[in-house]
Amino acid sequence: MRWIGAVVVFPILATVGVMLGAWWAPFPLGLAFGAVQPGARFAVPVGALIGSVGWSIPLSASESRFGLGPAAESLAAIMGFGHMAFVPVILTLLAGTLLGLLGAWLGCAGRTLVQPASSRTRASVSADGGTPSSR
Amino acid sequence: MKGGLRAVNAAAAVIVSAAVLYAAFFGAGPLPALGPAFNPVTGAWTMANDAAIGSETLHLFGLNQAVKVSLERDGTAHVVAQTDHDLFLAVGYMHARFRLFQMDLLRRQGEGRLSEVVGKAALDIDRFELQLGLLRTAQQEWNALAPDDVARQALLAYAQGVNDRIAHAEADHQLPVMFTLLGYQPKAWTPIDSLIVKGDMTQTLNFTDTPLVMALLEKSLGADLVSKWFPVLPPNPQSPYDPGPYPGQATVTPIGPVAQVTDAEAVAAGDAYQRLVSLPPGLLATGGNSNNWAVAGARSASGGALMAGDPHLHLTLPAIWFQLSMDSPAYQVSGVSIPGTPVVLIGHNRHISWSLTDAQNQQTFFYLEQEDSAHPGQYFWRGAWQRYQTVGYDIPVLGGATQHLTLKLSVHGPVITERGQTTTVWWAGNIPSQDLGVLLGIDRASSYQEFRDALRGWYSPTHNFVYADDRGDIGLISAGYYPQVAAARPWLPMPGTGEDDVTGTIPYDDIPQVYNPPEGIIWSANQRQVTDDYPWYIGTSSFFNPGYRANEIHRVLSQGGKLSAADMMALQTDTRDFLASEMVPILLAALPSSPARDLLASWDYRMDTNSAAATIWWAFWQAYLDETFGPDWKSHHVTLDRSEVSNALGQDLETWTLHDQHNPALQIAFKTTVTNLSKQLGPDPNTWTWGRVHTRVLENLAQISGLDYGPRADRGDANTPLAAPDFPSSHGPSWRMVVDWGSGTFSGIYPGGQSENPASHWYENRVDAWWDGRYAPMLSAEQAASAPGTVTWSLDP
Repeated sequence: MRWIGAVVVFPILATVGVMLGAWWAPFPLGLAFGAVQPGARFAVPVGALIGSVGWSIPLSASESRFGLGPAAESLAAIMGFGHMAFVPVILTLLAGTLLGLLGAWLGCAGRTLVQPASSRTRASVSADGGTPSSR
Repeated sequence: MKGGLRAVNAAAAVIVSAAVLYAAFFGAGPLPALGPAFNPVTGAWTMANDAAIGSETLHLFGLNQAVKVSLERDGTAHVVAQTDHDLFLAVGYMHARFRLFQMDLLRRQGEGRLSEVVGKAALDIDRFELQLGLLRTAQQEWNALAPDDVARQALLAYAQGVNDRIAHAEADHQLPVMFTLLGYQPKAWTPIDSLIVKGDMTQTLNFTDTPLVMALLEKSLGADLVSKWFPVLPPNPQSPYDPGPYPGQATVTPIGPVAQVTDAEAVAAGDAYQRLVSLPPGLLATGGNSNNWAVAGARSASGGALMAGDPHLHLTLPAIWFQLSMDSPAYQVSGVSIPGTPVVLIGHNRHISWSLTDAQNQQTFFYLEQEDSAHPGQYFWRGAWQRYQTVGYDIPVLGGATQHLTLKLSVHGPVITERGQTTTVWWAGNIPSQDLGVLLGIDRASSYQEFRDALRGWYSPTHNFVYADDRGDIGLISAGYYPQVAAARPWLPMPGTGEDDVTGTIPYDDIPQVYNPPEGIIWSANQRQVTDDYPWYIGTSSFFNPGYRANEIHRVLSQGGKLSAADMMALQTDTRDFLASEMVPILLAALPSSPARDLLASWDYRMDTNSAAATIWWAFWQAYLDETFGPDWKSHHVTLDRSEVSNALGQDLETWTLHDQHNPALQIAFKTTVTNLSKQLGPDPNTWTWGRVHTRVLENLAQISGLDYGPRADRGDANTPLAAPDFPSSHGPSWRMVVDWGSGTFSGIYPGGQSENPASHWYENRVDAWWDGRYAPMLSAEQAASAPGTVTWSLDP
């Protein structure tokens, strides 16, 4: 349950951070999640979720308030993608996703260096009641 | 995971994260810093927020009293202030609100600071601009303004308004998208920046390379041919608006045989010419294409004076113009302004209206400085060796080391090349002048006398200012600086030893001008303003337009009957080619019947998109020029592109053809035309429509082709009142205005929109109406406030 809670809380924190102008917030949040969650196969997708939610909710808010169609078309034109307005939207979400994902990956990788896999498994089991985070 | 793999995994995570974070924070290569750029809250996406315009209340630092701004549905702004200071401050805010990036580009261009934001690609432009000296001139002009000068007060208030907007935009993360993508913040606006923007326009309209071109031609073609083909006075029939009589005796003589341009002079001219022609469009005057005219009340259907003006410029998005009305105790003026400057440049107030075209007189002179190895760093002038003044500049370069530029100045101006023979340039735009004060005077004027008095201080660029007022009076005055040189050949680079220096200008009362002429019409279209009898030197025929638009305008206005505002609008969008109307009947007489000839025979000389005859005519004229001048161009090994001087050569060919209507080159050129068009467009002449070969494009100011409008098939050519030179054409009527003082109606339109934000409805909302020849009413502030769709802003202290 703790990890499920974290999966909800971290994206919310990322969204708040981005809304306050800290566009990089998904990275440290992903990093933190990856560092405390023992298992890359779980942490990295969640990191990506943190980033994508953190950037897509503010973007959706702008879309609902102002409409992003003309802005997306303009950005596509500026970037040399003609009228393919979906490209900047995808690239934007990709950027957010990448920030969270890389943070989580780095967190996980750092943790594996500091803490061997066997001890991480034990720690995880003792703390979480058996979440299959390491195989 | 084994230890080794863990280490590899960690290293990979560190490396990839570092790379992505670096690109996100700092950018990579041409990519901007991706994080700030695409941040959904403060990045480029904020252009969507910026595009949403609603009623609001803003607090501006420096305002004394509340200002009301009404924004019409099409974006036209109406500023109503209780004091003149507040008016200029609010105008500065409005300009910056909608055109801040454009303003920043304009000042950077003139100040030689483009490389700082776009990198070394702009380094040559920056070096050139710093050499030319807009920045030095603007600083001198600012320093010369008295503390209580009206222009000084206006510039200070305007700068405050711009800076208020910059502060708001930074606080709200609403800077224009290009700042975000280029990753820099605009520096504070200063009055000197406004003077720089005015200097940019002067350069665009009056800084020419014509003397260099003439030197290169004389070197290759020889003095005899140059004398014959490029005379001082136009050889063809023209329509000067000021027929005289003039004071004094005529002193202008045709170019006679003169000493050949030396090898060193040719090298210098070639080097300087190459530098100038490699500059982007708009930095060098390449021949004007503007129209204006007025009709006296006695000739108009409404009984009041009529006036029309359409200045032709490089057509960009955003446009060079921002439409607004300005109301305060001293100013009640409406029209178009240039973002960066606090004045209405073309428009009307309660009593008078005005517009302008470029006067085209020679304002650029090149001097060959005499140097000697025994006197390094010096030049010989007026019998003594003079030391060059040196000035140093640092040019910051994005992604590279700061470049240092040291340039030399003689009494004539900056050294522009040291290859061959050191050459300096004297340019009227470098004379410190208070042109902004003149424009403020025009904005306040209420009679021709006040208008003319205000223009007495105008220097550069020399303009044909057309005038009409609510009393039915009309006038036209070609105000500006007319350099007079005691030289045998001012149209070529001249010796810099002092004998050929600029000695002054034509007295104000003697410059071309008319007021209430008996025929009740006046017109200008960049043609030579005066007849052959005019006693002052104002430039050779190569400096002026060939006069076809002026002839056509004169022809239409001279027809009998009363004229209306609708007639003025029709003439502004007229596509009749006057040269074609002269030449095609002669051509038809020389040709046997054929499908292509028959199309010409039934043609009305209009360059419309669905006209095949228009294409045949234009292709024929190019072939006729080739047939006539090509052999000499080849045999004399002229390296200069003939299109550089096609206007001058066209006048010769027109004149010769009018005098010899049996020239065999007519038939040869026509045959070539049909052969070429058949290859290019197919065998059926009926399908050779003008729209297939002639298009127009409105170019994005930041040169982002995806944000252009067009290219799209369009009518007109270089000679039609609706001017559309080049293929595709990106030059033409930048603003059309028609005034009918009898009915009190004012109409205008420009291609583009009020906002530089490409996501805004106001980015290009006026283009279609402009393209179709439609106009929008120029409402007063009171009318706009109650118009449907108007948004109101309250600007409070």
